[in-house]
Amino acid sequence: MIRDPWWFRALRGFAAGALILWLILPLVPLVIWSFARGWRYPDLLPQNWSLQAWEVALSGRSGVLESLWVTGLIAVLATALAVLIGVPAGRALGLHRFPGKAAVEALILAPLIVPGIAVALGLHAVFLDLGLTNTLAGVVLVHLIPTLPYMILVMAGIFANYDPEIEEQARSLGASPLAIFRFVTLPAVLPGIVVGALFAFLVSWSQYVLTLVIGGGRVLTLPLVLFNFATSGRNDIAGAISILYVAPGLVVLILTSRHLAARPAFAAGVR
Amino acid sequence: MTQNLRIALMLAPAVLVIGLLFGGALVVALLRSLDTGDAGFSLAAYARVLANPDFLPSFALTFHIAFTSTILSAAFGVGAALLIRGSGAGRGAMTFLFQLNLTVPHVVGAIGMLYLFSQSGSFARLGHAIGLIERPADFPALVFDPHAIGIILHYVWKEVPFIGTVVLAQMQAIGPDHEASARSLGASRWQAFRHVLLPLILPGLLGASAISFAFAFGAYEIPAILGASHPQALPVLAWRSYTATDLATRPDALAMTVVIALLSGLMLGAYLRAARRRG
Amino acid sequence: MKKRTTLALLASALFAAPLGARADTSDGASLIGQNWEAVVAAARGGTVNWFMWGGADNINAYVTGYIGGVLKERYDITLNQVPLTDTAEAVNLTLGEQKSGNTDEGAVDMIWINGENFRTMKQGKLVFCGYTSTLPNNALINWNNPAISNDFGVPVEGCEVPWSRAQFAFARDSATLSDPPRSIPALLDWIRANPGQFTYPAPPDFNGAAFVRHVFYFAAGGHGALLGPFDAAKFDVAAAKTWAILNEIEPYLWREGVTYPTSITQLNELFANTEVALTFDYDPAQFGIAVDAGRFPATVRSYGLTDGTLANTNYTLIPFNSPNKAAAMVLQNLLLSPEAQLEKARPTVWGTVPAIEMDRTPADVQAEFAGLPSHPSVVPAAELAPLALPELQAGWISAIEKGWIENVGR
Repeated sequence: MIRDPWWFRALRGFAAGALILWLILPLVPLVIWSFARGWRYPDLLPQNWSLQAWEVALSGRSGVLESLWVTGLIAVLATALAVLIGVPAGRALGLHRFPGKAAVEALILAPLIVPGIAVALGLHAVFLDLGLTNTLAGVVLVHLIPTLPYMILVMAGIFANYDPEIEEQARSLGASPLAIFRFVTLPAVLPGIVVGALFAFLVSWSQYVLTLVIGGGRVLTLPLVLFNFATSGRNDIAGAISILYVAPGLVVLILTSRHLAARPAFAAGVR
Repeated sequence: MTQNLRIALMLAPAVLVIGLLFGGALVVALLRSLDTGDAGFSLAAYARVLANPDFLPSFALTFHIAFTSTILSAAFGVGAALLIRGSGAGRGAMTFLFQLNLTVPHVVGAIGMLYLFSQSGSFARLGHAIGLIERPADFPALVFDPHAIGIILHYVWKEVPFIGTVVLAQMQAIGPDHEASARSLGASRWQAFRHVLLPLILPGLLGASAISFAFAFGAYEIPAILGASHPQALPVLAWRSYTATDLATRPDALAMTVVIALLSGLMLGAYLRAARRRG
Repeated sequence: MKKRTTLALLASALFAAPLGARADTSDGASLIGQNWEAVVAAARGGTVNWFMWGGADNINAYVTGYIGGVLKERYDITLNQVPLTDTAEAVNLTLGEQKSGNTDEGAVDMIWINGENFRTMKQGKLVFCGYTSTLPNNALINWNNPAISNDFGVPVEGCEVPWSRAQFAFARDSATLSDPPRSIPALLDWIRANPGQFTYPAPPDFNGAAFVRHVFYFAAGGHGALLGPFDAAKFDVAAAKTWAILNEIEPYLWREGVTYPTSITQLNELFANTEVALTFDYDPAQFGIAVDAGRFPATVRSYGLTDGTLANTNYTLIPFNSPNKAAAMVLQNLLLSPEAQLEKARPTVWGTVPAIEMDRTPADVQAEFAGLPSHPSVVPAAELAPLALPELQAGWISAIEKGWIENVGR
């Protein structure tokens, strides 16, 4: 084993420290703001500390808790739909060759490449006629557009490394299709489903423009509420909402840190 | 059930959803942008958009934002992935923070960047505390500035963990053996990276970079929070045109989004061709 | 056969009954002139979607907290406040609905509105009109006051109901700037002498556009000649001078005028953090609110200009296709009530000038109103009133806005 020179190791240590600091940095003023009552230049720390921002954010009238619930609901529904639609599609793309595969792949990838604003305005016109604007259902549907491709990408990668032989063997031993799915296929692809679902959930969780345009300001998700408070001068409430917004992700991360370790299968899917 | 029929059924829901929602949205946008209200189709809206003195500067700015932030994120992302892959202190913390960053929504990051980098933000106050600057105006203009530095900083902050995670996963899948054999044959660290590892991770890197570029090009909320009043980023311009009271300008707004979609389509085509060439 | 028909009728009656109790009150014509109790009964249990500018948290708190609370307790109506960045979004929404033929299921039940947006809606026949005398509290409004019966020169004619009155004022931190410029020419000189210390939000921001109009009045040599319908010749002359002035001071502005704040909120952030030395607002009560919230230092003081500042009334209206007109009418009546206007006038809540005649309200409300403390940072309305300038008709407003964007904003 070649041993790295000391200066190289020092540089690497410094770079690691800088990266860690840089990743945390933008969250720091948000946390401080949530406990401040006015924080003006040139104070490094607020002169007046207060919990009033948290009181407002957690009270019923600010709509924050309600939007937290709405955001989570939309994300769960969109993710569930993405799983139901994406797993079979991923299997088809990962396991099989067929005429027109390239075109289908391009269609699946397209929503990731075409910017959201381009889709949102055209979709608004369509949904307006369908009566789906300003509805929760409309927002869930529109969230499928960015989440489904991620799900399919992950599942295609998983299935590309999956050997269907095992299903053949189970069938030759007399297992029913349902049993095969439950005991053979599902356990093998479940880690991929979890990763894909997590990505889909995150995409829906932080979605702004699609919810704004299709929801018409009537379906208030957390990013919209946060944007409104931040742009109406309530930096303290914006700080509190930011923490509430980030907290669930942090909690899930801590609980499932093992599952989220970088998966080779996901990388293979991003061809 | 024949194999092809089964495949078609498995793909049908996905193709339908994306085809109808996504494809339908673009088709409708195209049709309505050509609509003159009375009769027949006309490219008048497109002529107006391209003649709009705000359009080209907005397009140039948006391209600059997306391009610069993606290049920087790709470079730093690969660097960060290498850092995490190697042994050493802070690996667990870096991985955790990477994943945490992935869960932080863009809106939160943009607001945080504003509080950090505005001329009266945390860094400016730090500068004032140690006596480097006297007044807010002495601090460099990093937000609401014509070069969109604050916006780029935000995208770099958010995309480095994204690109880094993808690239890291690929590196781990590839394993250290290729580089190890290159180095045992006398290649330097840099040569092993440049000629052995980089080509192997390039597909994943290109894919993640393409996604990052597309997002930076089309996102609304970040330039709305951090951007200057003129020129505005293209999504901001498009949304503001769309919500203007004069409905006659709506075809123009839709024409703008069709142009945005067309340009992205070109980029997708170029990426797919490049990816296919690499096998 | 007969039995089945009777049963069928009974079944349909049962089905229709729950729907009828919370009637979709989109039929406005039937509500006009109705007994107020009947209107309240029709509205009970319903919802009203009020689209309004959401850029001030204290206003949002007053609306969702106080007004929403009373509405629910007293009338069992749910208030759904929809915050907007720009009122034009709501106008646009209704316009789009009209275009797709939606005449009774609009998403918007009420809009906080005035000026160009009102003109767009009135001219586009997007407003529910003629019902205002059905509101009991309509009697508290002095419709003989031309500043109330005309909204930026457009006759109201029963299409909207006033909510508050406002007059534009400036503010500075008296600890650092004890003697601010008190007229437009003095301000222009001050800007040149103090580079980087002033800026204004880019139109179409409401307050930024109002500031530009003050400069326009100065460039035109006074507003006298500008009242009345839009006159292109007069406009071109005054506009040319206005753009010249604003372009000439541009290098002396914050960031050398390369960029402007995009909203009044941003300007207030700059002011709070001493990036600029002056701010302004159509609603001077906001300065007091900001001081109390710790956003501005307590030494902030507001003031008017010796050459006058713009004054106007702002209103609420009901779109033609609102499905909840009865509930919206109940809400409007509540907004006009003495208690609600008094609550709104409290400096700790909002501090804005009532739109009703306080001497028409009960004695106890009048007494309390007279006894309201004035916030030290808010210039008293009585002080500003003698120097009130009228707003121009909406045609001028949109031309000035467009002209600024093309000639100065680029």
